Amino acid sequence: MNLPAAPTRRSLLPFAFLAPALAVEVAIICYPVLQTVWMSLHDFVLFRPNSVPFIAFGNFARAFMDPVFWLSLWNSVLWIVFIVLFQFLLGLGTALLLNRSFWWRGLARALVVIPWALPSVIIGLMWTWMYDYNLGVINDLLLRLHLIGAPIAWLARPDTTLPSIMLALVWQGFPFFAVTILAGLQTVSQEQLEAAEIDGANAFQRLRSVVLPAIAEVLATALLLRTIWVANSLDVILVMTGGGPGYASHTLPLYAFLKAYSSMEIGYGAALSLILTALLLFVVYAYVRRAARAEAAA
Amino acid sequence: MIERSTPLRRLLTVEVPILAIIGFALAPYLWMVLTSIKPDADISAFPLRYLPSRVTFEHYFTLLAQTSFLGNLFNSLVVAVGAVAVGLAASVPAAYAFSRFRFKGRQVLMTQFLVINMFPVVLLIIPLFVLMRYLHLLDTYFGIIIGHSTFAIPFAVWMLTSYMNGIPRELDEAAMIDGASRLQTIRLVILPLLMPGVVTTAIYIFVTSWNEYLFAMMLSGDHVRTVTVALQLFVGEFTVQWGLLTAGGTLVAIPVTILFLIVQKRLVSGLTAGAVKA
Amino acid sequence: MERRTFLKLTGATAVAGALARPVAAQQQTTVRWWYHFDNPQASPNDLIAKFEAANPGIKVQAESIPWGGGNDYYTRLFAAIVAGSGPDCAMVKLNNQARLLELQALAPLDDMVSGWADKGDIADSIWTLNKASDGHQYYLPLQYVVIYLYYRTDMFAAAGLKPPTTFEEFRAAAKALTKDGVFGFGMRGGAGGYDNWGPFVLGGGADFKKGGMISDAALKANRFYVGFNTQDKIISPSAPTDGFQQIIANFKAGRSAMAIHHVGSSNDIAAVLGDKVSAVPVPHGPDGKGWTLYGDESNAVFAAAADKAAAFKWVSFLSTGANNAAFNALTGQLSVTGSGAKLDTIHQPRFVAASTASLPVAGVLPDSSKTADFTGTVWPTEMQQALLGQITPDAMMQAIETLYNG
Repeated sequence: MNLPAAPTRRSLLPFAFLAPALAVEVAIICYPVLQTVWMSLHDFVLFRPNSVPFIAFGNFARAFMDPVFWLSLWNSVLWIVFIVLFQFLLGLGTALLLNRSFWWRGLARALVVIPWALPSVIIGLMWTWMYDYNLGVINDLLLRLHLIGAPIAWLARPDTTLPSIMLALVWQGFPFFAVTILAGLQTVSQEQLEAAEIDGANAFQRLRSVVLPAIAEVLATALLLRTIWVANSLDVILVMTGGGPGYASHTLPLYAFLKAYSSMEIGYGAALSLILTALLLFVVYAYVRRAARAEAAA
Repeated sequence: MIERSTPLRRLLTVEVPILAIIGFALAPYLWMVLTSIKPDADISAFPLRYLPSRVTFEHYFTLLAQTSFLGNLFNSLVVAVGAVAVGLAASVPAAYAFSRFRFKGRQVLMTQFLVINMFPVVLLIIPLFVLMRYLHLLDTYFGIIIGHSTFAIPFAVWMLTSYMNGIPRELDEAAMIDGASRLQTIRLVILPLLMPGVVTTAIYIFVTSWNEYLFAMMLSGDHVRTVTVALQLFVGEFTVQWGLLTAGGTLVAIPVTILFLIVQKRLVSGLTAGAVKA
Repeated sequence: MERRTFLKLTGATAVAGALARPVAAQQQTTVRWWYHFDNPQASPNDLIAKFEAANPGIKVQAESIPWGGGNDYYTRLFAAIVAGSGPDCAMVKLNNQARLLELQALAPLDDMVSGWADKGDIADSIWTLNKASDGHQYYLPLQYVVIYLYYRTDMFAAAGLKPPTTFEEFRAAAKALTKDGVFGFGMRGGAGGYDNWGPFVLGGGADFKKGGMISDAALKANRFYVGFNTQDKIISPSAPTDGFQQIIANFKAGRSAMAIHHVGSSNDIAAVLGDKVSAVPVPHGPDGKGWTLYGDESNAVFAAAADKAAAFKWVSFLSTGANNAAFNALTGQLSVTGSGAKLDTIHQPRFVAASTASLPVAGVLPDSSKTADFTGTVWPTEMQQALLGQITPDAMMQAIETLYNG
């Protein structure tokens, strides 16, 4: 699709279209964001608001020397990679299936959003209860099916706690991918699919050569947005284990949150969050550059 | 689609997997529904009771009669609808600008939207609280709506831009050559084709606002309390009222599901290659 | 067009609402009070009506704030104080007193208390516990609970045991009762579990003064406690992250023979177990001394309050005799007043008896800004790691010592 670039004569017009979104963002978010950056450069403890010395990058240096920071960072990497991956795969599969026709398709599409529609407090409490050592459904079922011999303390063992919480997050978030990809699948050209089928491609080959390229941009955007969301999510962990046992389920945003609100060391918490933001920035930047190059090539 | 598969094949390759996935999605929810109709004694019984010894709706009665739950559901609805309205109003034009124009600063602006969203919400809570107080928006619908849409807009802009990029620019050109103004083109050509994307984005904003807790907790008070905050009230210092909590949790998912049931047809609004060619 | 009208309306409403402030007439003041109840169905409206009838000219505007494990409530409170929109008075706990003081947010109540008629109805020991480290009284006691030991009377009777009074008896009883999937002690290792740890370690000789966490007695006591998991195996494998929810649920379901909590849960447990449950004070060390946690709750008046006298009238109303009893009927805790305690109808006698028997050794954590950090993050992470064997018990005590004393 080689089109000449849109005319830039009326160069103010795009900004007119952008104005509402920019206005809301600038008015509401600018101040808090700048405040957060300011806080990260100071030794700011919430209950000592009158003594806030400027320490430049002192908080960041402290983070790099903090073993809990590195542990949280590692947990965050595992957290992001596996949750996004499984949410994506499950969501993709669901979307492809929901795109086929069967008589209760409408109902299925509506029911699949339920995990996504529940508030984090409910999700955290229900899953904690399901994982309970004595009274939890999961242990009970596994015992009845003879898959385990004794109950497992899912949330109290450092090796199982993070994966257990990650399962709850995969459950919560896969409907997002299912819905987004389903919408994107509507733009896949029927003719191209039929042509491929006539050419002898099987379902998997059709998926790979026709469907996926057609929804590539939607997929990439959904993955990007979801990665950012998952990277910053902490409500469910907070409700389920509070970061424990020990530091086993500490992720970086959770650690920042605990530092900011429990210890009330807001300056340090702000610095920790900014480090996470900076790391995410790399991912975003890579995506935007790739998208720009793809556009220029198109 | 050339449907050559036999009903049995369809059953095995489509309906059974979907049933499994729906089962996975619903199992915890069903467990919660079951708990909400059990008497309190059943909930703490060991060994585990799956089915209630007797079905009781007392938790629902207490929830609806003795707490402000219904009012909170209504508040959540108002806030979510408001967030969708404000969010779409801001992001549809923005997506049009990003998709259909090439101007200086385009990359920077697109990235900046996302960067702002990468700031963890939790750290922004206190400065935002101070700002909202300054603007006298605390404990008002408008305050929470603005708070929610502020975080929905960047994602919405990105999603809508990518959906809009999927609509070939030739259509715009064709319409405008035929004499349509830009606004007419948007209204008559682009928006109909964008409908699945708009619906998806609207759902995304609605759901994000519906189950958002942090902002609602900080920016609301007794007058405007959303359902997520109301549910948190059942988790006390010394007791967790499981009956009320599960009853509330059961109810809170229903409006979203009904909404989705209604709009899911629009989601797949018959965009075919034929329409593209027309 | 609907959207724009909607926005205009909400915007206008917000502005109008903000402008329509209550008229501060000469006689009419409004006292804003923040509270948190465990049951949202319980409402303080009756008490408010009674107060307003007796005090025409003062209106009480009560706002219930989500507790959220304590985090949400205090984040709201501190943020509001910092933003200048805090309430006039609020329910508060001692573990935040030091921080509120550093924020200079509290109004000293000494003068108002000395002129208060009913101050003698509250025991001296309770006044002392609530005094701040600078000697002033900022907190007005409202209600309390004392941590004691629940035990299963039927399980003990079947094993021929009496409820334990010393640490060794406790361990022996727990060992004898750990069988067939039942654990002798339902330990709380998650958030708030320092109230399980305190009786054994602080009661075993540790204290928060310099060197007090790493003395021989302190280290020995903590090793004993951690040994419940690593050596004796008398606690559930889920204990490291069990919160009050889990230990109470396990106890109710008969999965543990003993649990440490307080009278706030007694009605809930007794509803399920009836006569099969009773309570005694927590065990003490061989030297006869002991320690248990005094679970406090008070009202404080804030420095930024416009009319502190009116706010004090309201909070002291709540801490007076019959009103205090009525308030505690709503919250499920114990009345701080002598006369109110006699009016207690909602708690079963044996649990109240165990609470009052525990009062002589009841104490609170130090009035220091480090305490909230201790309860919120340091204690849970250190305890959990020690229970799991990731660090030694001694390392845990060293971490606490470092937090408080550098």
